[in-house]
Amino acid sequence: MDRIRKDFTTITWVMIPVAIAINMALGFIVFSLKIPFLYLDSIGTILVGLLCGPIAGLLTGALSNFAWGLLGNPGYVPYFPVGALIGLLAGLFGQWGWYKQWWLWIFGGGLITALAGAVLSAPINAYLQGGVTGSGTDVLVAAFRAGGASILQASFFQGLITESVDKVVNYAVVWAIVKALPVRFLARFPRYINVRPE
Amino acid sequence: MTTSLSLYAPRDSGLDRLHPLTKLVFAVFGVVVGVTLPGVWPNYLFFLLVLLPLAAWGRIVPEFLRAVFKIALPFAISLFVIQGLFWTNGTPIFQLGSLSLKAEGLAFAAKTTGRILVVMGSITLFVLSTRPDHLMVALTQRGIPKTLTYVLVSAIQLVPRFQSKAASILDAQRARGLETEGGFFQRVRALLPVSIPLVLGSIVDVEERTIALEARGFSRDGPKTSYRVLIDTPAQRIVRALMLLASVALIVFTVVRWWAV
Repeated sequence: MDRIRKDFTTITWVMIPVAIAINMALGFIVFSLKIPFLYLDSIGTILVGLLCGPIAGLLTGALSNFAWGLLGNPGYVPYFPVGALIGLLAGLFGQWGWYKQWWLWIFGGGLITALAGAVLSAPINAYLQGGVTGSGTDVLVAAFRAGGASILQASFFQGLITESVDKVVNYAVVWAIVKALPVRFLARFPRYINVRPE
Repeated sequence: MTTSLSLYAPRDSGLDRLHPLTKLVFAVFGVVVGVTLPGVWPNYLFFLLVLLPLAAWGRIVPEFLRAVFKIALPFAISLFVIQGLFWTNGTPIFQLGSLSLKAEGLAFAAKTTGRILVVMGSITLFVLSTRPDHLMVALTQRGIPKTLTYVLVSAIQLVPRFQSKAASILDAQRARGLETEGGFFQRVRALLPVSIPLVLGSIVDVEERTIALEARGFSRDGPKTSYRVLIDTPAQRIVRALMLLASVALIVFTVVRWWAV
């Protein structure tokens, strides 16, 4: 409890809305670059998890989906547990020192997050939206359904494939961003120890 | 706070004047209705007989329909095509070359589309008719930590600013010769030179905002006064209690029904 309270300094509270805005702005960039199978909408969430701890990450991820809802994408609201999980995991990986090994952070962190995200989002997607996403990735859903998979299975495999690419790129971009930030600035965050250069 | 940034459509209407919590509880109720109502038609009826009249009362019918269909239409198309054509062991009712539409798949697609309409419609109705800052004031008055409401309000204010910042960085990098079109890998490679300046630039003013907030007593404990006064009525309190009760009843009813199967 005490540790969690120590994570929520004023800079954490200021960072969380900025992270939410970063999530959306980068989502917008990917959309402008027309990159298929990529969303890149968790950069801010992962950043907060890494720099401010797992609970701050969890909060950022969940609130991000609600903010998205208020700003005109109500479709994101039901998936707030997935956002929360992404932030929580990023915080835990940071705590375990994964950031210091780039391959462990990018591939370990990215792929585990993708798997966990797919497990959590498949039931929401299958129950609420009949297993489709209303976007290009539905080609995959169609292929799995044609191959005899159930709606839940098709939704899960679709999620696993698209999330794996997306989350590995997310973790790689966060890695590059934190490397580019000045140490003087990083040192102000409660979990600076996670990213301190050796 | 500039309200044009969110989806909120300001109107002089009864719906607009309702207490934000009443509308929030209604959104929760609508989501529960959407996910618990059995069968195909009840959801469509709820949309036509409850959500649409409420939108009319709030004078936001065009905005409401546009927002809901923008979300629901791609889902509906995907659902009817994918579940209709690829339903496992379904009864074929229409032959299309080697493919056939299955009755069960179409029924499932119709049911799910109704569910999406009601869930997204309820959330959209709430967002369209509620000023975000009024909602935050209402939540703070009910004991939600002010730090949490601060996060949501400032995120909503920051997003449009960041989006225009992202657009100008994209333009600036293009002007310097960055390839943002072409093959898949070319476009992926363009990601870093665009995202890093955006994130670095925005993070730098985090420090300044922190100092500004501290100077205004952000981390001080104790009650704070509010500039905005919200009107609540006993009737709205009763309606909120009834909607919450109905939501709980619907959830219990659904769980019991699942259990019995």
